[in-house]
Amino acid sequence: MKCPRCVQVIHRGAGLCPHCGFGIAEMDARHGKDNVSLRRLADVAGLMKSRERSKVQGALDDFSRRFPQLFFAVYTGSGKGGGNVRQFGFWLLNRAAFEDVPVDRPNEAGILLVIDPDTKSASVTWGYLLDPYLTEEDTFLCLSRAHAYWLEGRFAEGTVRTVSQLGKILAKRAAQARRDPERFERKVAPPAKTGEIARRIREGHRQVGPKTTEVTK
Amino acid sequence: MKALAWVLTAGLVVGAAEPPMPAWRDEDRKSLEKGEILPGLELLTEEVPEVPQEAADVPAPTSEEIAAAENVSPEVDEQYLNAYFGARPETFLVDPQKLLGSKDARDRESFLKYHSGDSQVDLFVYLFDGHQAIPSGVREEEVVERFFSEGKPAVVVYYYLGAPQKSDIYVSPLLSDTVSAPEQRRALISSVEEALEKPDALAQIEAFCVQLSIRIYWMERAAGLVKDEPAAPVARRVKEEAPAKAESPAVLQAKAWGQRYGVPGGIMASALLIVAGGISIARHRARFRFPSFDVPPRLGGSHAAGIGAVISFGSTTQSPSSQRNDMPNYLGL
Repeated sequence: MKCPRCVQVIHRGAGLCPHCGFGIAEMDARHGKDNVSLRRLADVAGLMKSRERSKVQGALDDFSRRFPQLFFAVYTGSGKGGGNVRQFGFWLLNRAAFEDVPVDRPNEAGILLVIDPDTKSASVTWGYLLDPYLTEEDTFLCLSRAHAYWLEGRFAEGTVRTVSQLGKILAKRAAQARRDPERFERKVAPPAKTGEIARRIREGHRQVGPKTTEVTK
Repeated sequence: MKALAWVLTAGLVVGAAEPPMPAWRDEDRKSLEKGEILPGLELLTEEVPEVPQEAADVPAPTSEEIAAAENVSPEVDEQYLNAYFGARPETFLVDPQKLLGSKDARDRESFLKYHSGDSQVDLFVYLFDGHQAIPSGVREEEVVERFFSEGKPAVVVYYYLGAPQKSDIYVSPLLSDTVSAPEQRRALISSVEEALEKPDALAQIEAFCVQLSIRIYWMERAAGLVKDEPAAPVARRVKEEAPAKAESPAVLQAKAWGQRYGVPGGIMASALLIVAGGISIARHRARFRFPSFDVPPRLGGSHAAGIGAVISFGSTTQSPSSQRNDMPNYLGL
């Protein structure tokens, strides 16, 4: 878990980045705090032709079919206020209201690919549901698959490649999670309190049973 | 059983008895002893009875008579005239005198029949002996006009066995207008020349008929009886099928393996295909779900705060890894 601005590791549940003080309020001040109505494929920058958009839309539909909890969204452009593509992706996935996504798939289950043609960069942002299952390296692998296409201006083909690669990774993770869900739960479980750790050390890591008065009650 | 065998043996001995030998007469024995007769002398000597010489009263023939006898050819006997010239012949070879043997006559007739089936003009051969002559009362042209003016056109030849140079040719009225007399003569001369090259009479008539049959074909063309399309079969190039190439040992070995392992191999391949198809369908239909855990919100984001990689695609000379953007952006630019 990293801060989208300073790219430093932050702890779970941090309201603001302990390193740089970044929070969504800064992005709201830049882009607005109201929800933005979007579709899953928002080619705002006009990087794709009509036929190519249908091809990308098909890839997004196939992703939604294979992962009934998730959805994949693509945004091309840098937003009104400009700025860093990583921070913009973080703000957009929190403020976007996707029209063509069922209500049973909230943004917590979303994955957003932002392609900024101005800065010639792209980033991936995901919701809290996927926090245990995705890493930064996974997303870099997906973006690497599309890199050659994007260099040639073939944004649709690169996007399809990204979606396909991310589907493979998530399918593998889903199988692993089915076999060993605790492995992924530990990644997002709240950290133990400092006093609790000291008490366990003193008691030799023995489980403390409930007091007699509590049982009586 | 033994008695039966004895009776049979005795019967055979009696049946095999030789005829009685000749016996000497007494007077012959005496003559032989005196040396008057020799045994077998009658077989070695032939007694020719003496014939009394009679005086020749008949005068010797003169030279004129001898020359006349050589020049005069005997005419065809009257008994054959009706068979020769009485009606249109029913066979192509007209030989009432049986000058040819039955086999040779059958061969010539079969050839003339073959010619008739292959040609628009029939060929009739009247056969005479080489020293014979057609009676002066018979006019050959009239015979041809009378019997061959109707029906299929025909060429009529009066052939003299052993003397083909005496042969004569006539054509039916249908051909006489289109085939000129010189053309007829040339055909006859050509056929006679072919015949004269042969040593015997049978070979001569065979060569004569063959050559005349060939010349009749040109008469047909001159008479317009033959269309433009060739009557004779023409050799045409037939699209030849590519000869079967000799199969290489590898191909033969592959065929042998196919015959030996074809059925189990096919079954295994089918099974693999079915399994692969099943796996593909299963993967297509697969649905992936994730366990949901409580994740506390971060940085004020109510839905998402998962920050992935940022990649730049501005340079075609650098690798994707080198264009990975991990730089902090404190200014928010």
